[in-house]
Amino acid sequence: MKEKKISPIDLLMLFPGVGFILLFIGSSIFLTLVQSFGLFSITGKSVFTLENWKAILQARESMDSLFFSLKMGLLSSVGTVVVAFPIALFFRKGGTGKGILGSIIKMPLFIPALVAAFLILNLISYSGLVNTVLMRLNLINEPLRMLNDKFGWGVVFIQIWKNLPFVLLIVMAALASIRDDTIDAAKNLGAGYWSILFRIFVPLAMPGILVSMILMFIKAFGDFPIVSVAGPIYPASMAARMHIMATIYQEWDQAAVLGVIIIVTAFIVIWAYSRFAELAKGEV
Amino acid sequence: MALTDSTAETSLYLIQARKKRNFYLLLMIFFMIVLILWVGIPILMAVMWSLVDPKNPWSYPNLFPPSFSLAQWKYVFDYTNIGRALRNSYSIAPLAVLLSFVLSLPTSYVLGRKKIPGKKFFMLVVLLPIIMPGMVVALFLSRVFTAFGLSQTFFGLVLAHTLMSMPYMIRVMTTSFQAIPQDVIDAAENLGANTFVKIRDIFLPMIRPGLLAGMIFAFTVSIEEFNLTFIIGTPTFETIPTILFSFMGYNFIRTNASVVALLMMTPNIIMLFIVERFLKSDYLAASLGKM
Repeated sequence: MKEKKISPIDLLMLFPGVGFILLFIGSSIFLTLVQSFGLFSITGKSVFTLENWKAILQARESMDSLFFSLKMGLLSSVGTVVVAFPIALFFRKGGTGKGILGSIIKMPLFIPALVAAFLILNLISYSGLVNTVLMRLNLINEPLRMLNDKFGWGVVFIQIWKNLPFVLLIVMAALASIRDDTIDAAKNLGAGYWSILFRIFVPLAMPGILVSMILMFIKAFGDFPIVSVAGPIYPASMAARMHIMATIYQEWDQAAVLGVIIIVTAFIVIWAYSRFAELAKGEV
Repeated sequence: MALTDSTAETSLYLIQARKKRNFYLLLMIFFMIVLILWVGIPILMAVMWSLVDPKNPWSYPNLFPPSFSLAQWKYVFDYTNIGRALRNSYSIAPLAVLLSFVLSLPTSYVLGRKKIPGKKFFMLVVLLPIIMPGMVVALFLSRVFTAFGLSQTFFGLVLAHTLMSMPYMIRVMTTSFQAIPQDVIDAAENLGANTFVKIRDIFLPMIRPGLLAGMIFAFTVSIEEFNLTFIIGTPTFETIPTILFSFMGYNFIRTNASVVALLMMTPNIIMLFIVERFLKSDYLAASLGKM
């Protein structure tokens, strides 16, 4: 049955979808790469040079931005999965009212990221609901700074709120494929709640957890709008820095270097994911 | 005597079971309240901010605005570009969905039904628009677009939105093509069905739910697309996300932003409830659950 060659007709049918994506994404990756070395430059002479890389790698701002973006990506992806997992377990078994509850919890999936940022911003801003309630309860004397804070907790919270349903859907599907027999068998053999959780649910849902963490990490790592609205004043995220570099300083070549760093990080994360996925498969 | 013993034992079990059930019920009610607050409060706050009366401003320590009015809504429609942004958003989205459907259909068919070498590679390639960080693609794609004379044009924006929505479309439709059992197709062929009959009676009905799910994902992706629109479209074409960004930027006007935020999410949420039954978690999970 196994064919080794693609028939011309299949190739022709693959082309509209795969070709369209490859054409646009491929050309933008190519441009980012060559511009970072000074070729195809639009601002200066087009000669091969490592000056841009030097300039970016020596600037303290770029290292700060890289570190900040990595932190946001890691905290958002881990945070979302940690919040989503118990909810997914709760939804694993059907029950009264869970249908409508499922729709409500899915709502943020359909709320655009910027709107989500705005909704949460109303809660956590300096004079927002959380601060007002805490002050009125006399729990704090002065409003807490949760928005545009130095660490970036505001951004992490927005990312978790917005992406929870997305992760939830993927993890729920992974949990749904676990059969009750497995759990009953474990119970009969004397497994407690914790060992069922950590030795059945978590490992069997691992592929779903990993994929959702990957997608979340890339989203939060490369994010521009949420960080510019809710993030700290300094450092900017990598994407925001790249945007400023290109549009305000008109240093397109240096922006390209930042772009390459973002792309390479994304690919490293995906590679690490596939290694992890293989490991997880080997163990279970 | 033995009888009463066992009855007592049974009732003890019953009491324990009831206690356990009560505890479970309590836990579930608590969980439900938390979930409803988790989603409900942020939305409620936006609704209240959009209804603030400009004559009676809402400030600390009031938990609720002192009076409500529709003045903010009127202001936004009278003095900002929101009307044009709405028109842009809702005319780009259907075109992008249509274009991505047309482009995705043959590709999904091949990926879902044919045995071809390098399928894993192609499946990863179609995910590229999601995997690639949006701002990088936006900035450098804008150079490509400028070279082809596509930036700051309506058609360019449609192409950009198509690009961003295609991963969902292709992945979801591939999954539905895969789910068609080969037996059914073989049986139809044995009974003499030609290609047209096969498409009409097997493929179309069986991929319809997946197709709808893909279209819904593609539509919402297009409505909320920010990075590419911001770089390629502004200032000629404003969509709802870019106008909201401008309200949230240097001159932050909370009331205006609330109105725009509500305008942007209400249709999406209505759509979510209408299409809930097509949106079984399997679609997204099955199509994105593997890389």
